[in-house]
Amino acid sequence: MKNTRQIYLASILILILATIFAGTLAFADDPKARAIMEKVDARDDGDNMTADMEMILIDKRGKKRIRRIRTFSKNKGEDTLKLMFFLEPADVKDTAFLTYDYDDADKDDDQWLYLPALRKTKRIASSDKTSSFMGSDFSYADMTKRVLENYDYKLLKEMEVRGQKTWLIESLPRTKRVIDQYGYTRSVLFVRQDNFVVVRAVHWVKEGKRLKYMDVKKLEFIDHIWQPTEIHMTTKKAKHTLHKTIMKWHNVKFNQNLGEDLFTVRQMEKGL
Amino acid sequence: MTKISMFYKGLALLVSIFMLCCISGTAEAQERPGKSCVSTELDKVLKGFDDQPSTIKENKELDDALKGFEEGEGAAEESTQKEEAKKPPFCGLSGSLSLGVSYSFAHDAPKLGETDYRGLSRLCPDFHLDLDLAFLENWKALISGRAFYDFAYEINGRDKYTDEVLDEYEKEAEFREVYLQGSLLASLDLKVGRQIVVWGKSDNIRVVDVLNPLDNREPGLVDIEDLRLPVTMTKLDYYLGKWNLTAIAVHEIRFNKNPVFGSEFFPFETPLPEEEKPVNSLDNTEYALALNGIFRGWDISFYGARYFDDQPHIERVSPGHLKRRHSRLSMIGTAVNIALGNWLLKSEAAYFEGLEFFAVPVEKKSRFDVLAGVEYSGFTNTTISLEAVNRHINDFHSTLKAPPDSAQKDEFQTVLRYSGDFLHDTLHLVMLASTFGVTGDDGALQRFSVEYDVTDAFSMKLGLVTYQSGDKVQFRNIGDNDRLFFEANYSF
Repeated sequence: MKNTRQIYLASILILILATIFAGTLAFADDPKARAIMEKVDARDDGDNMTADMEMILIDKRGKKRIRRIRTFSKNKGEDTLKLMFFLEPADVKDTAFLTYDYDDADKDDDQWLYLPALRKTKRIASSDKTSSFMGSDFSYADMTKRVLENYDYKLLKEMEVRGQKTWLIESLPRTKRVIDQYGYTRSVLFVRQDNFVVVRAVHWVKEGKRLKYMDVKKLEFIDHIWQPTEIHMTTKKAKHTLHKTIMKWHNVKFNQNLGEDLFTVRQMEKGL
Repeated sequence: MTKISMFYKGLALLVSIFMLCCISGTAEAQERPGKSCVSTELDKVLKGFDDQPSTIKENKELDDALKGFEEGEGAAEESTQKEEAKKPPFCGLSGSLSLGVSYSFAHDAPKLGETDYRGLSRLCPDFHLDLDLAFLENWKALISGRAFYDFAYEINGRDKYTDEVLDEYEKEAEFREVYLQGSLLASLDLKVGRQIVVWGKSDNIRVVDVLNPLDNREPGLVDIEDLRLPVTMTKLDYYLGKWNLTAIAVHEIRFNKNPVFGSEFFPFETPLPEEEKPVNSLDNTEYALALNGIFRGWDISFYGARYFDDQPHIERVSPGHLKRRHSRLSMIGTAVNIALGNWLLKSEAAYFEGLEFFAVPVEKKSRFDVLAGVEYSGFTNTTISLEAVNRHINDFHSTLKAPPDSAQKDEFQTVLRYSGDFLHDTLHLVMLASTFGVTGDDGALQRFSVEYDVTDAFSMKLGLVTYQSGDKVQFRNIGDNDRLFFEANYSF
């Protein structure tokens, strides 16, 4: 009887270990894909940047709405400071949005919104980044840099996009928390092999069986930095376009003399 | 086989089934965020790219999927061209023109001699104009004004209303904010002129936000942009690291715009005694100080002010002669914000000294207000907030409960607010419930509004405000004032 009990206990132990091992295997990612994504992450995307951003929101009937924003960004160590002033439409003019985008995945970003109608700066507590950025197809998650540690990567294959070789890399959130926070259950990224710019992406939206297609339509080499200056983001459901946003950058300049004091509530309230 | 060995066998079998479920569950969980990418699902998805034929031919379904990209609109370009940044203009004109309509639907027919408030209660074009001026390096100015004319009084018959109502509600033209602002030094800013300064962390209830009076003429119906009334101040801000010290001198003595005798929201049967307003003088200048700290994940502010109470009290100035006077108050307070994931915790506390009452003319009372609130932003495009405040009068005497003071030892208020944006920010839904007293027995109002942006410049809003009468003075007999409202707004 003792032997029987030992055999069964051993079998239980083996099954537990097998489960743990299977789990470990299931979450392991592809070192080659990760190496590529590390290069994407390490790519020089510029510092002390100023630009004018234009967003054209197009609904499924083709009706257009336009938003114009003046943006500033600065690197602070691994973190990124961003300040945006909304210029148009008229009813949101002078609204300002300040973000301290922390590289540390365990820290929530600091965000403040200046609302001119209320004459008040409001702290925004939202680790959930799935909300739409100004009604566009871009979410707040799309506007921030992804933390590599939150994802598993897998190299699918190589493809050409507009004559340029790219790697297709699948990105899978490691936890449900990341899915809830960023709103995507899976992404496929097209990374250009010559400059490590993500020139296309497909995002599986957590809710609504929707897909979002990100496409860099214009890529410019400005001050020795590869900078997308026109991106289309299209939301589709069952092949039908639900909504589309064209985001354009004008007057992009890097290495401007931007002090940290620009990225403050003081500056938001003073305006441009 | 013994019962015990059967037990272990059974246990092992159960555990095995459980573990297998776990393994398959793990695999499923892994599939949920991402099945294998050679799967049919992915291939179908990639058809979403409206692209040129792929150079990879071995997986036709995947290539089809990639057609989701709309290639026709131009291929990626690489250039090194730079555009010249536009300089901000010297001056800019902006504003809005709106038409507001409201309909009062809950009143009974009036008694003889009473005003009939049924039906159209507002038909009002409202014009806002802002002139922005920018000059020198860091200096700018704003001149803004507002004018409205409410045709409802003409349509309903002006003779039905009291002079006070016509004076206060029918038309208005005034300068709103008119100020000059700039930097005197690298860390010192100056803003002088008619302006609005908002204190505190709460969005719906005022505790430390004492500097600007409010437009309370139609509670729950005033547009948020017009709710605070600007006053003339000199404001200096000094910045040091994460801290900022603000010093303010308020030169213009201006009080709340309250409902007047004869209006739907006026709570008494007879007019109030004459109001005595302190004149604008050096002696009557109001002073305020604030120290604000902004840190990673939290903010804190400390406030102090010496100012006139916006709400007057009634005072006997001689036998049979009453006046409404504004007490000179001192306030110290604090406010804290803490961001935790999708939650924003808010707290405010303030101590007020110098409150005067009709019932105890020789005494000055103090009050302690405490607010706690929470805001949740974890639902996509949605914010829900709940705030509660208790205002406690110290050394409360029961005689203060009687009119005309009608004060309460503890005045409790809660505000629940929901706001959601839908259809790519074109449809905005706001619901607000403000309740006085723990159970609403002091009065309550609810406001529901839905706003649709027809174009970038033109929007339409439809809403409903409902009131419940209560013991709080401002909520007496207002239960029938429920309104449907509509607003069309053009911004430029």
